Amino acid sequence: MRNRSAYAYGSAWNRLWKFRMFYLLMLPGFVYLVLFHYLPMLGLRFSFYDYDLRGVGDFIGFEHFRDALSSEGFTRAFKNTLILSSANIVIQMTLTISISLLLNELKNKLFKRVVQTVIYLPHFLSWVVVGALFTLFLSRQGGLVNAILSGLGGEPKYFLGEPGLWRGTFLFILSWREVGWGTVVFLAALSGVDPQLYEAAIMDGANRWKQMIHITLPQLVPVIVIVLIMNLAKIFNLFESVFVLYNPLVYKVSDVIQTYVYRSGIIQFRFGYATAVGLFRSVIAFALVVSANKISSRLRGESVL
Amino acid sequence: MAKRKSLHSNSAGYNIFRTVNLIFMLTIIMVIMIPILKIIIDSFDGKASETVFRIFPEAVTADAYKLILSRPAIFRPLVISFITTISGTAIAMTITSFYAYGLSQKNLPGRKFLMGIALVTMVFRAGMIPLFLVVRNLGLMNTLWAVLLVHAMDAYYLLLLKNFFESIPSSIFDAAEIDGCSPLQTFIRVVLPLSKPGLAAIGLFYVVYYWNQFFDYILYIQTRPNLHNFQVFLRSLVIESDTQGFEGFSFATQSLKNAAITVSIIPVLILYPMVQKHFVKGINLGAVKG
Repeated sequence: MRNRSAYAYGSAWNRLWKFRMFYLLMLPGFVYLVLFHYLPMLGLRFSFYDYDLRGVGDFIGFEHFRDALSSEGFTRAFKNTLILSSANIVIQMTLTISISLLLNELKNKLFKRVVQTVIYLPHFLSWVVVGALFTLFLSRQGGLVNAILSGLGGEPKYFLGEPGLWRGTFLFILSWREVGWGTVVFLAALSGVDPQLYEAAIMDGANRWKQMIHITLPQLVPVIVIVLIMNLAKIFNLFESVFVLYNPLVYKVSDVIQTYVYRSGIIQFRFGYATAVGLFRSVIAFALVVSANKISSRLRGESVL
Repeated sequence: MAKRKSLHSNSAGYNIFRTVNLIFMLTIIMVIMIPILKIIIDSFDGKASETVFRIFPEAVTADAYKLILSRPAIFRPLVISFITTISGTAIAMTITSFYAYGLSQKNLPGRKFLMGIALVTMVFRAGMIPLFLVVRNLGLMNTLWAVLLVHAMDAYYLLLLKNFFESIPSSIFDAAEIDGCSPLQTFIRVVLPLSKPGLAAIGLFYVVYYWNQFFDYILYIQTRPNLHNFQVFLRSLVIESDTQGFEGFSFATQSLKNAAITVSIIPVLILYPMVQKHFVKGINLGAVKG
């Protein structure tokens, strides 16, 4: 027995030694993960400490969480995150699926590719560029939209500065950037539909519309479910888009968890409090992703992750 | 498919549908392109003022572009953008592909663990403040290292590359080993040439990421604004309309704003055809589970 275990130890060591070069190559990635992902996780303990510009203070348990839940800023941010995200999911899913189905009906291959090329493009522009584009496009001084409005006899509107208009404008811009990109997944699924199904349907006398309802759409259902689940899981990721497009005039309707964390932590130096709010967010986001994955694997016997 | 066409392409209802569909698609193209084209056209408008709207410029000039090239306050962010995009992509590609190469070795002891610690980052992150505090404690605040390193290995791209490397037949690895190649030599002489499409796709995504990055600069570079990149500059120029920080630069004309946006879009437009060629492939690869 002793001999065998000594041999096993030796062989394990030999195997490690054999792969030493690979470990060396993986070292930078490993260090990266430790420094920028796992060290910060240790920092999550500050959620339970009094920590601001004066440095790390006493252990205070769940006080930051209690403060957050009773503060107006946090509840407002939480509510806005839910409203904006769910509205966005409904709008984007509807538009993405409709456009995919309609793109799929295009006969002219070249025209189809032109449309695809154009609608994917905005996704590759930074949020700053998109924000800048629409700041000028919606400007009250010489912006195209307001020029048309006043041409029609209306009053110029401050789309990104009026609480009543901000959400609609924001959702439009979000869709402008992401809907086209969203069609990639659906078009891939559509191209995988067996042509024999259509031939059989035509034999049964189904017209184009009926083919779309009875063949194309059912074939898309699994993809729709997956995309919906993934979108739900990402509800709390809303950040850069809001950060670029919001301003103090519209905090009431636009402030989301992530922007709230940024202002509390970085601008106001409430490190402990902001870490707690961020942890709250991370835990919910994690729970959403994991349950999304569970649901998906139950639905199609395959996990998303 | 031919049958489908012959049966229904002549019905009146279908023709109406096709026309409506065509109009719909043209509308979408316009909705997306008009804001972009308007900016590009206006950037050449010599008489652009803040208050008047015109469809086409009255006087075409490239003055705004000359201004960008001649003012250090505008030119410097542009240079920073180029430098960080090139070096960031190089760093990220090296770290990611080495790690993916290791993971692609089926017999590597500890492979599951090394894979797991990367995958966890896809579903759980500590968040903005803890990461910020780490960067501060590492002494990376107000250096470009912060923006280059904090997102240097994306777990999703890592998976794509790993799958790509795994699709290389193992007999090729065996042959390289018999020929006396070290793992690094095998990587450089065999793996890289065979993985060009995958590497190109991921590389382009990193390029777009680093070029478009702006929030990390705001977060990590607070006291040395001369290290800010062009996106941050663009944000203050157009969105915040905050021109105070730019010495001798009390005016920010409409055409300058338009030109600055255009300058930021151009590299994306140049790279875009290449990116587009790859990304559908990349997404399909991602569907392959590893």
